[in-house]
Amino acid sequence: MSKGVLVDITRCIGCGSCTVACKMWNNLQYNQTAPDKGSGLNAENWTAVNRVQTEKNNEPVWRFVKYQCLHCEEPACASACFSKAIKKTKDGPVVYDVNLCVGCRYCMLACPFNVPKYEWNKTFPQVRKCQMCAGRVQTGESPACVSVCPAGALTFGDRNSLLAIAREKINSDSSYIKQIYGEKEAGGTSWLYISDVPFETLGFRTNITTTPLPHYTESILSLTPAVALGWGALLTGMYVYNHRRNEIAREEKEPGDE
Amino acid sequence: MDDHVKEDEQQLYKKVTRRSFLKMMGGLGLAGITMSLAGCSNSSMVEQAGGDGWLPQQYQGRGTWPAQVRGRVPIDPDNPSITRDDQKCILCGQCMEVCNNIQTVAGHYGLPLANDVICVNCGQCTLWCPTSAITERDDTQKVLQAIQDPNKHVVVQTAPATRVALGEEFGLPPGTWVVGQQVAALKRLGFDAVFDTNFTADLTIMEEATELIKRITGDIIKPLPQFTSCSPGWVKFCEYFYPDLLPHMSSCKSPQQMLGALAKTYYAKAKNIKPENIVSVSIMPCTAKKFEMQRPEMISSAHYWNKKGLQDVDVVLTTRELARMIKQQHIDLSKLPEQKYDSMLGEGTGAAIIFGATGGVMEAAVRTAYYFITQQQPPANLLNLTPVRGLDGVKEAALDVPGVGTVKVAVCHGLSNARQVLEAVRQGNAPWHFVEFMSCPGGCISGGGQPRSAVPPSDEIRMARINSLYQADVQAPRRESHENAEVLALYQDFLQHPMSELSEELLHTEYTDRGKKVREITA
Repeated sequence: MSKGVLVDITRCIGCGSCTVACKMWNNLQYNQTAPDKGSGLNAENWTAVNRVQTEKNNEPVWRFVKYQCLHCEEPACASACFSKAIKKTKDGPVVYDVNLCVGCRYCMLACPFNVPKYEWNKTFPQVRKCQMCAGRVQTGESPACVSVCPAGALTFGDRNSLLAIAREKINSDSSYIKQIYGEKEAGGTSWLYISDVPFETLGFRTNITTTPLPHYTESILSLTPAVALGWGALLTGMYVYNHRRNEIAREEKEPGDE
Repeated sequence: MDDHVKEDEQQLYKKVTRRSFLKMMGGLGLAGITMSLAGCSNSSMVEQAGGDGWLPQQYQGRGTWPAQVRGRVPIDPDNPSITRDDQKCILCGQCMEVCNNIQTVAGHYGLPLANDVICVNCGQCTLWCPTSAITERDDTQKVLQAIQDPNKHVVVQTAPATRVALGEEFGLPPGTWVVGQQVAALKRLGFDAVFDTNFTADLTIMEEATELIKRITGDIIKPLPQFTSCSPGWVKFCEYFYPDLLPHMSSCKSPQQMLGALAKTYYAKAKNIKPENIVSVSIMPCTAKKFEMQRPEMISSAHYWNKKGLQDVDVVLTTRELARMIKQQHIDLSKLPEQKYDSMLGEGTGAAIIFGATGGVMEAAVRTAYYFITQQQPPANLLNLTPVRGLDGVKEAALDVPGVGTVKVAVCHGLSNARQVLEAVRQGNAPWHFVEFMSCPGGCISGGGQPRSAVPPSDEIRMARINSLYQADVQAPRRESHENAEVLALYQDFLQHPMSELSEELLHTEYTDRGKKVREITA
């Protein structure tokens, strides 16, 4: 079963425990000039919590938005990676293997959520992003960030049951926006969000296709074998035809010489 | 037979020649390099993906919320009182423990949030944090700059509770009485005048006892019981969670704000110093004072002089910050000679000293209220009001005052205890006339800005500091606020009498309903 995490934005108190747990578990560096609260993702911030000041029923409200890799069901980054350094595991996490990475950064261009980051300051840089604590998930534990959340904003579980929980929540409480972000975006993601203020005001990209991004390239690239073989066959055929025609021409000439 | 064996041995021996061995090793090496280049060295990608790091034990078990203590308290980056260094945080959950269970703030409001990270600024989390990740917001630079500016007249006041705790930062036993050394250190740091918050503690008693009597006699139409208003963490707590009970709150400012207002009016006038050149600093055991200082209504001196931009108190330093400043100047507090506070705003009585302990404000108020009502010195049992002393969460006492009858009082400290009293008041089950509230367990002596002599704070250290205060009270030449000569001079020369028009302007305040920031807990 594919696992996922449901983020209930209305429950987040902005304590940032998740960002600290992420740094601890993944041995990430702290950077005072780019803290994990407020300055978004970078090579050392695999998750970040941003404060959004917005309005709800004409009252000013603060919402805290945890952001990290959404772990697409059909990840564009993995499809763009020709060295198979990025893969989707059967548990749900989209993981990265530094030993296979050639550093082309196609994944960064492919990602619709602008998640993978590059270690620009290193001699041998890696692509860096949330890996959903794949090792923990594999053994049935929740990702580090989920395990420390004191407010109940993060729920770990099977994606299907999380969708059911989310649907029940947004249908039973009228203050929620009637949308589960990540249910269909980019063909569906392992991380799901529900909120009581519109997602676009929280900085989410909402104009995203519901078609899994790899499908766009798949429709063309799936023709590659046919095109390659067909083109080869065509050229071979033309060669054989020309060769045979020249041979016949030579044979016709030869008797005249005798 | 023997020949056969020998031949076999020879054959075996021949098989592993130096050449064949090196060939084998070379082949293995080539195969290894090929395999690792091809990415075969990692058996499972999942295992090496992301972390193999460390989390505290409580997060390692499987399972879901709620399990043990988890996470940490939210701290607004703009919080004026406390700040947190994420690099030091180990997610032990101790801040959550104290905030949730002892102060009943975190987890006691509904979600989603309004436009506020709810915090009463008490700073108890700074005392519980085992790695000092949560600390007071450091304002020492502002003070150093003011001291170095020759145009500025920097005045400083010290709270009752700092004098029994500052010594702990310099290796002295908990509760050591260092009032004289503290004054000496402040003078060496370059402050122009060193005043005692005890002076305005006495003044608070004069105003607050007068207000209480007026409430009891019906001269002012405000409900009973009257609540004390000295503890800014408690005041903000009431504003958040019990805004309907704010009419009970005494309108008196806290002693810190009273002294700030007087320093820029009464003192500035007497010494002929321009109020805008005075920088008013206070040394407090408290982080919430940093919040109180910047409340928009705390600008009485600006109203008095009709000058914009004046603030009654400019910088609040905690006991820990003062200790840091003293250490930076390489001053050893324990070796300093004792010095006295400067006059005008420097005298304090025994009643003011005990403000630092839970029950102290009550005891001091009772002494003076008794005198105000009967015009007689209070009996001995009112000078040693044991029922309101000690570390019980909620303490009660009933006192017979001739002319009024029985006056019932209650004392509580720590905000979870305050909730019990407040719920009783809300339900109309409150027999008391006067209730003392202190935000921090033990009172100011265990405030959020005090030295971290035990993590988490221990009752032994609390009691050592409290005993030191009561001992100083017993030894004080004057033990009642209305005997404070400088306070009496202040009324004679400037304020006229308690709750006069000028007193109301400088020494009294209003409160803000913050109920909208707190949602009911629904789920």
